[in-house]
Amino acid sequence: MAATQRYAEIRSRSPGYWGVLLLLAGLALVGFAAAHHMDVEGHHVTGMNNQVVWGLPHVFAIFLIVAASGALNLASLSSVFGRAAYKPLARFSAVLAVALLVGGLAILLLDLGRPDRLIVAMTHYNFKSIFAWNILLYSGFIGIVVVYLWLMMERRMQAFSKPAGVAALIWRLVLTTGTGSIFGFLVAREAYDTAILAPLFIVMSFAFGLALFALLLGFSFRFDGRELDQSHVERLRRLLGLFVAGIFYFVLVFHLTKLYGTQNHPFERFILTDGGTYTLLFWLVQIGLGNLLPLAICFMPAFAGSARALFAACLLVIAGAFAQLYIIIIGGQAFPLNIFPGYEVESSFFDGVIADYAPSIWELLLGLGGVAAALLLALLALRVLPILPEGLPAESD
Amino acid sequence: MRSWLLVLLFCCSGIATAGESSGFGQIAIPSPVKPTTADSCVEPVEVMRREHMHFLLHQRDETVIDGDRGSRHSLTGCMDCHNPATAEPVVRYEDPEHFCAECHAYTGVKIDCFECHADRGLEQTGQSRRDDQPAWRAERNRLTAMSLQQRLEHSRGE
Amino acid sequence: MANELDKIEVKPARRQFLRGAAALASVALAPGLLLYQARPAGANVDSGVRWGLLIDANALSEDDVDACVSACQREHGWRAEDGSATDAQWVRKVKLRDRASGHTRFLPVMCQHCEHPPCVDVCPTGASFKRADGIVLVNKHTCIGCRYCMMACPYKARSFIHEVLKDQLPVAPRGKGTVESCTLCVHRVDRDGADAVPACAEAVNRAGRQAIWFGDLNDPASGISQALREFGATRLRADMGLNPGVGYRGL
Repeated sequence: MAATQRYAEIRSRSPGYWGVLLLLAGLALVGFAAAHHMDVEGHHVTGMNNQVVWGLPHVFAIFLIVAASGALNLASLSSVFGRAAYKPLARFSAVLAVALLVGGLAILLLDLGRPDRLIVAMTHYNFKSIFAWNILLYSGFIGIVVVYLWLMMERRMQAFSKPAGVAALIWRLVLTTGTGSIFGFLVAREAYDTAILAPLFIVMSFAFGLALFALLLGFSFRFDGRELDQSHVERLRRLLGLFVAGIFYFVLVFHLTKLYGTQNHPFERFILTDGGTYTLLFWLVQIGLGNLLPLAICFMPAFAGSARALFAACLLVIAGAFAQLYIIIIGGQAFPLNIFPGYEVESSFFDGVIADYAPSIWELLLGLGGVAAALLLALLALRVLPILPEGLPAESD
Repeated sequence: MRSWLLVLLFCCSGIATAGESSGFGQIAIPSPVKPTTADSCVEPVEVMRREHMHFLLHQRDETVIDGDRGSRHSLTGCMDCHNPATAEPVVRYEDPEHFCAECHAYTGVKIDCFECHADRGLEQTGQSRRDDQPAWRAERNRLTAMSLQQRLEHSRGE
Repeated sequence: MANELDKIEVKPARRQFLRGAAALASVALAPGLLLYQARPAGANVDSGVRWGLLIDANALSEDDVDACVSACQREHGWRAEDGSATDAQWVRKVKLRDRASGHTRFLPVMCQHCEHPPCVDVCPTGASFKRADGIVLVNKHTCIGCRYCMMACPYKARSFIHEVLKDQLPVAPRGKGTVESCTLCVHRVDRDGADAVPACAEAVNRAGRQAIWFGDLNDPASGISQALREFGATRLRADMGLNPGVGYRGL
């Protein structure tokens, strides 16, 4: 590796590059307009209801928040674990983490029933609420990573980037534990109420964050004509495979644990065999496309060093991510609460039945808008700051 | 520091008052209709003008958290006098002549009280207000009988 | 204008008001800028009591439960907006059929006013709270509409308001974007104390037939405590250890 790594802003003037930026800006605007529509009309214009209270916006938001934590992987690997090969990518890793978190939080905020009361959320804290902890964890994460990024970019301060990296690593592990615990702490619902959701969310964050990172890296390098050597692609490919295997393992343990207790059989039947869309999403998209296929791509020697294969695996992992979060968030709510064990239940309020949920276009636009805003933020940062290495050539050693 | 702030605020309020009396442009100064059902408000007019938002903000927590429903500073009380159920035609907050809307439009202060609260006095359905003389109403009648000076003493002593 | 007169009168008085306000231990920087005013004593909520309900499933027919629901709707002004899954239901009719015996009964199910309410634990702003007298409420002034309480409630007792509302009743302010649930007719409780009768109980109790008891669970002499001693009660999801304030007889 070269003695001094050089970084440079993105300089591409190609119509394709600007086209993508414009598209993202347009999507972000449309997402904001959709949120405004939801705010004016009320949530009845969405598919959400009193049974499924969190819908598609939350799938997008939690995807981005989880991925934000994971996007910091490469920075952590270089600063904390001393893996020099990842050092050129550490800056971008930090920038992407902040951008994704901002996008995710924007969706969560805009989906609130009263988004105008952001100030209330900032000034009234219930310290027993995991949600309130998360508000602090998210703002703290942004602060720590921004400082960390500055320490990495300021030559005189580089000595301090390691302690900052350690702080950021610990913080993001706590943050993802907190995000998983939003669900894990819900004792009343069979789909949740388990500590394994916290580590599951952590390993999900590793994979989702890395997938987005690799795709954006590829995009920026390609449009700026920078060199991305096979050795770097290969390293990312193996890392992704490892993380996807981790997800697969935790999902397996989650369902095995639930299957062991008879009381959870109805829920497991719902997800694994009888759930219609949810079952299809689980086997086909989450497990098939999101886990098994990427695993094959990441570990089969035939795809060694292939950037194309890496990007395909990343896209598949992201598709699987959405399916998985959809099942966790929406499937978990669609399955009815068991308030009267031993009875058949019927009511005007959908007791005892699987709740219907059909996302509306407004929710989809809000979700896409948030993703677009996050990506736009990251790409704009690359344009104005020397974040990306000028090239990642073959290593000399 | 605090005295400077006071001076600054007094200056600002002076400017605001000057603007009011000279009448900027052609915008009519609001003069909300006073109710005929009572001789005076629960506080002197000048106090209400400046402090009503604090009274309401303070009182809302007392009601929601501490269950104090007899307060004379209640929004329901405002509406019962200033936009009673018997008013014809019915005036809603969206109408420019609504008691609250008139000044709030003039000052450009947006409030969201009436997204949830009734924007006019309404006789309750069922039997939820069985007594015709709720505490605040008795209190108001007592206040009405007082002179301004007495009422200020009363405000202080509370 | 009449304003002029007010001004002349009030100018000296304003200073007095300020002095008075200071005596009240208020933090007032200037007229119109009142930061904090000491809370006067005499609030209504009595932390010594715990309000609760005992619902006698044996005494309630399907029509009775329907009457509970309509009485609650009339009292608080909630109704079916468009008959869909987004409608608020403060209290609902639940039909239970015993899988083994086929025996059927009907229950009104509402907020169970838990002693340890999960909705209060999870609320980020503290808008979901338990009053000192045990009534669990949403403070809609600080509710941001995140719906986490709905995720956490084991009884599905809460509703989110999905549309713009008009013509709310003075006793039950409710509006788009906030969460709501049974208030145990808190406005009646604050007015009548131990003599209060919630709207649902009022709709079904008749002379000689008590189907829903309301009262102080902490007072061994209260009607509800006596009825509980005599009949016993089932608490929904008792396994969760939340100690609900609502009990069911005959379940």
